[in-house]
Amino acid sequence: MKFSSKLSPNSDAAKVVSPFSSTTHFHLRRNRTIAAKDYREHSDLVGREVTVELKNDLAIRGTLHSVDQYLNIKLENTRVVDEDKYPHMRSVRNCFIRGSVVRYVQLPPDGVDIELLHDATRREARGG
Amino acid sequence: MSWASPEDIYLSTSLASYLDKKLLVLLRDGRKLLGTLRSFDQFANAVLEGACERVIVGEIYCDIPLGLYIIRGENVVLIGELYTCTFLLIDFVLIDKDVDKEELPPHMTRVPEAEIRRAQKAEREATDLKGTMRKRMEFLDMD
Repeated sequence: MKFSSKLSPNSDAAKVVSPFSSTTHFHLRRNRTIAAKDYREHSDLVGREVTVELKNDLAIRGTLHSVDQYLNIKLENTRVVDEDKYPHMRSVRNCFIRGSVVRYVQLPPDGVDIELLHDATRREARGG
Repeated sequence: MSWASPEDIYLSTSLASYLDKKLLVLLRDGRKLLGTLRSFDQFANAVLEGACERVIVGEIYCDIPLGLYIIRGENVVLIGELYTCTFLLIDFVLIDKDVDKEELPPHMTRVPEAEIRRAQKAEREATDLKGTMRKRMEFLDMD
């Protein structure tokens, strides 16, 4: 089953909940999908630049330092996308973001091996 | 089983590496608290010592002292390490300046609490007015 069939056609960055398991998938721009539960997938992205968009519309770009099972994220060398609107964030270079407030994680386009991820998701869907 | 080495906390997502550092805690209601992290747990409940709230209205700001605070984790959006240039602390020319100042854009000025409260109230009234005006204009169906 293709995940794309589960996406609403007019949103380019929709959060998709897998019909097979409790795993939350993040469908990111340019058709990248990532299983949030399998956060080891993220470990490939440690050290890469990501943009984390929060539920309060704050978008923070920074180098991914670490991620845990709650999707808590630590970023380094952060900068806020709209810095003029959030002057208090200028002095923040490293930060911890609580997973519950994350809306999207925008990954670098070449950050995820889709084939590998699809295989891992199918494996999990089968329950092993 | 392998034991985690003490350095591993710097590789993990725990807040341990932020202990005893001056932090900015952004809350879900938009408030910004500054203080030193003394304790935390897996929910991001946090104990801040010497906490103060930073109120920013336009180009003025004020740090209102609060004291020792325990923050319930569910209200935490982000915990950021405050970046302060260490060279500023050893530079005797700059040490006289307000040390907190370099955390903010240079054009921002610090004002007393009474003044920031006035500005806050004015801003709130302005947004309320905008809201009611928009509501009254709704029948025009502008978009």
